[in-house]
Amino acid sequence: MDFTEPVVLVLTSLADGPKHGYALAKDIETFAGIKLGPGTLYGALSRLEDRGWIEALPAEDRRRPYQITAAGADSLATHLVIAQQVAATGLLRLDLRPAR
Amino acid sequence: MTRQHGVGELRLEPAPHDGSGRSAGPGRRPWPAGLLAVYPAGWRARYGGELELLISDLHDGGRNPVPMALDLLRGAAIAWLSIRRGSAMPERTRNALITVLWSWVGFAVTAAWFGHDLGIYPSRSAARQIALAHPAVPDAVNVLVAVGVVGLAVTAVAAVAFAFEAARYARKHQHNSTFGLMAVPPVVAVAWIAGLQVITNGSGTGGSVSTGRLTLELLWFLLGLAGIAGSTQAIAAIVARTEFSPTTWRIGAAAAAAISAAMLVGTGATIVWGLAIRSTQAHPGSAAGWLVVTAILSVTTARAVIALIGSRRHTATPDPAVA
Repeated sequence: MDFTEPVVLVLTSLADGPKHGYALAKDIETFAGIKLGPGTLYGALSRLEDRGWIEALPAEDRRRPYQITAAGADSLATHLVIAQQVAATGLLRLDLRPAR
Repeated sequence: MTRQHGVGELRLEPAPHDGSGRSAGPGRRPWPAGLLAVYPAGWRARYGGELELLISDLHDGGRNPVPMALDLLRGAAIAWLSIRRGSAMPERTRNALITVLWSWVGFAVTAAWFGHDLGIYPSRSAARQIALAHPAVPDAVNVLVAVGVVGLAVTAVAAVAFAFEAARYARKHQHNSTFGLMAVPPVVAVAWIAGLQVITNGSGTGGSVSTGRLTLELLWFLLGLAGIAGSTQAIAAIVARTEFSPTTWRIGAAAAAAISAAMLVGTGATIVWGLAIRSTQAHPGSAAGWLVVTAILSVTTARAVIALIGSRRHTATPDPAVA
């Protein structure tokens, strides 16, 4: 599965606990400054659920929370480590220090 | 960035309105939610309710509806493309089952109505002649009755499996309208049969009363057809909006295959039987009735078989995204 930006954002948001669609959108807006559209957000959720990286919890007032699975957490961790190495290398080559 | 909740703890951002699915502010569904109709039915059945709530929440939270609408169109296009590539959504199976259902209903109504004529035509003496000339050709009406029995039995078995899971899905996702749709076929059947009994028990003597009664019977017959169409549409709507398990889809596919096979046999028998009559009798009379029956049975059977083959081809095609 490709790690598209929405997929990474959703997995990252779910890494600290289950959330429903609106909570995900607000959280992503808070930590990444990105306003994910509803179609993009649910496209990512459906792909992640198909892949088994997230799972749906029982709905509450018709709002269904999702939580990251162990496989999803492993995949996210692997991706973020690589992304961190790429970011560090890029910043070094640009003669910039990684932000602390 | 602040983290307010720990790992594993359910963190639910308060939504701008209550959980009724309706916006508490303007009190109506925001217009971009109408674009959910362009998503594939299976996708909509699984995520439509949640996505509609999210659209309402974002709208009430001040999100611009135009970019939301464009994003939904893009999301719908991706959802359709993922189906073409063979995603987990059994969209073609779902559409094939709905097509087979409609075809089967059309076939059964035709066979039940015109098959009655086939049963009384030709006369007994002519039927004996045909039987002697073509001993291997069965009476079309007997074959159609057998097809009807097999088809109804298979439909009943599949209906139980689908109804059970549709009810469970509706309860879980609070789709109360599904229960209303499930009630349509039995309510229509009971109301129609009760009305028919009233009509047939009604006394009628004299020309004017008989004419009125004939009109009423014709009207009731047409209402029966409308009821059958309405009940079929209700079942199709349930199949379109519910996410079924792979086992239930397999039951549906097996039932559709059995019904299509029975329809093929019934149509073939009707064609062969008609040809046998025309080759045996010197003056077989008008072929109009037989041609009409054969045409309707052939078209409905062809529709069912093509839909079934199409869905099976799709199932057999490996998903390039996974391969």
